[in-house]
Amino acid sequence: MLSALKIEWMKVKNYRTFWILLGITLISIPGINYMLYNIMDNSFPKGKNGQTPFLGSPFSFPDVWNTVPWNASILFILPALLIITLTTNEFTFKTHRQNVIDGWSRQRFISVKLIEILLISILCTLVVLLTVLGFGFIANKPGPGISIVHDSRMVFFYFVEMVSYSMIALLISILIRRSGLAIGVFFIYMLAEQIVVGFFGKGHHMKWVNYLPEEVTDMLLPQPYAKALFQRNATDWEHHIPVYLAISALYLILYCLITSRRFVKVDL
Amino acid sequence: MSNILSIQSITKFYGPIRALHEVSFDVPPGSVFGVLGPNGSGKTTLLGIIMDVLRASSGTYSWFGEPPSERQRQKIGTLLETPNFYHYLSGEKNLQIAAAIKGRGRDDIGRVLEVVKLTERKDSRFSTYSLGMKQRLAIASCLLGDPSVLVFDEPTNGLDPVGIAYTRELIRDLAKEGKTIVLASHLLDEVEKVCTHVAILQKGQLLMAGDVNVVLTNEDFVELGAQDLERLRTTLAGLRGVRQLKDLNGYIQLVFEKDAPMDLGEINKYCFDQGVVLNHLQLRKKSLESKFMELTN
Repeated sequence: MLSALKIEWMKVKNYRTFWILLGITLISIPGINYMLYNIMDNSFPKGKNGQTPFLGSPFSFPDVWNTVPWNASILFILPALLIITLTTNEFTFKTHRQNVIDGWSRQRFISVKLIEILLISILCTLVVLLTVLGFGFIANKPGPGISIVHDSRMVFFYFVEMVSYSMIALLISILIRRSGLAIGVFFIYMLAEQIVVGFFGKGHHMKWVNYLPEEVTDMLLPQPYAKALFQRNATDWEHHIPVYLAISALYLILYCLITSRRFVKVDL
Repeated sequence: MSNILSIQSITKFYGPIRALHEVSFDVPPGSVFGVLGPNGSGKTTLLGIIMDVLRASSGTYSWFGEPPSERQRQKIGTLLETPNFYHYLSGEKNLQIAAAIKGRGRDDIGRVLEVVKLTERKDSRFSTYSLGMKQRLAIASCLLGDPSVLVFDEPTNGLDPVGIAYTRELIRDLAKEGKTIVLASHLLDEVEKVCTHVAILQKGQLLMAGDVNVVLTNEDFVELGAQDLERLRTTLAGLRGVRQLKDLNGYIQLVFEKDAPMDLGEINKYCFDQGVVLNHLQLRKKSLESKFMELTN
C-alpha cells in the first residue's frame, strides 16, 4: 500500500489545482477563526472580567477547543471540493481505467482514495490543533486554574466530522463521476439535510433527524457561542456522545462499503 | 505451452443491448492475433473485459493459463481506445506513474521514449501533445519493461501516414521478437499485413477465428483468360473439383472445392488439351477485406 501511496503522491505533487485547493483549505482554518475572533473582539463590548456578555470567551481555554473546530467545520465544502476534484479528474482523464489496465486492482485504486481522505483529514486536524493552541496561548493567555486540555476531545470530533464529509464527497464522486455535477449534488445534499433538520428537528422536535449522516457528526461539535442562550442541554449531549460516535462510525463503514463495492463491481 | 489468452463464452450486455454473445477463442503464444470487426462489433468491449475495466455478463477468460489478476496485467502492455494520461503532467512523469504501477523501475523510460521518438518532448505537458504524440506516448507506455504480451486497440488511430507505417513496422518488429500481440482494428489492410491469426466479430458474434491461413484457406482463386471466353467457360466446367465460375472484367474467375488441386501447370495443360489456348492465367489470393465483406454482409 505504501507504493500505491507513493504513486498517488506522484499524481498530485505537480498538480497546481491540488496545491491551490489544499492551501485554501488549510489557510481557511486559522483564517475563518481569526475573522470571527476579530469580529467578536471589535464588535461586542467586554465586561469587567474580559468576557463578552452572552458570548463568553470562546477563544480562551477551555472553550477554544470547541470554538476553533466548530468554526473550521463551517468550511467543510473546501476539502470536499478537493476530494471531488481529485477523484473526478480520474474519470475525466480516464486514468482510473489506465491504472487498472496497468496493473492496479480496482480495490487498490479505491483504497488509495480512502487513505488519501484520511491523510487530508489528519492534516486539517493538525492545523485545527495548532490553531486552537495559537488562540489559546497567544491570543488569550490561559488564566490561573484553567484546564488547558479539558475538552481537547473536540479536535478528535472535528476529525470524525471531516472524514465523514470527505467520505460523502468521495461517494458522490464515484457515483456521479463528473466534477461539476458532483460538486452541485454535494452542495444540494448538505443544504437539503440542513433543511430537513431545521424543519423536523426544531419545528417538530423529532430526534431522528439528529442521526442523519451529516447531522450526527455535526452533533459532536456543539455550537460554541452564547452557550447559555443557545446550547442544547450539556448533560444530555454528554450522554449522547458515544451514540453519536457509534452511528458516525457505522455511517463511515457504510460509505466505505458502498464506495468500494460500486467501484469494484461496475464498468469503469 | 498453454495459450497466452483463452476466452470462453463471453457475453456482455449494456442494458438491453447485447454487445457480445458467447465469444470464445484462444490466442497462442508468439502469434499476432487480429480482432476484426466493423465499428460497434464489440472489439473494444472484448478487450475492455480481458483488461478488467469492463465486467462480462457471463463467461470467463484466463491469461497465461491462470485466472485473471492484476499481477498478470502488470506483465501486459496495453493500449485501449484513447491514450489515458494525466493532462497536467509531462510525458515522462506520466510514464513514471505507469512504470510504478507496473512494478517496474524508471530505467526503461528513456528507451521507450526513444523508440516512439518523443525524447525531445518528454518534459512537455501531456495536454500540449498532438493526437499523434499522445498515441505514441501510449505505445511507449505499452513497451515499458519490454512485456512479452501486448494488447493494441486501434493503435494507428490519430497517426499520420508516416506514423501509421512506423507503428506497423514496430508491430512487425515486436512480432519478430516472438512477442504475442492482440491487435483490434477495423482497418483490414493493417491487420492483413501483420497478423498470423484472426477473429472476426460482427454485432458481438464471433463469425470466425483461427490461423489466418486456415481462415482464408481455399479462398485462393485462379483468374483465366482466352480469346473465346464462352468455350473456356465450358471447358473449365469439366475440370475436377471446380466449385464456382464467375465472369470478372473480361476474365473467368475459377474457385475450387476445398482440398481440390490448384496447380496452374495442370490447368494450363488441361485447357490446351481441350483446344483452348490461355492468354491469361494467374493465381490470386482472396484479400482479407473481401473475406471480411463476404462474412459481414
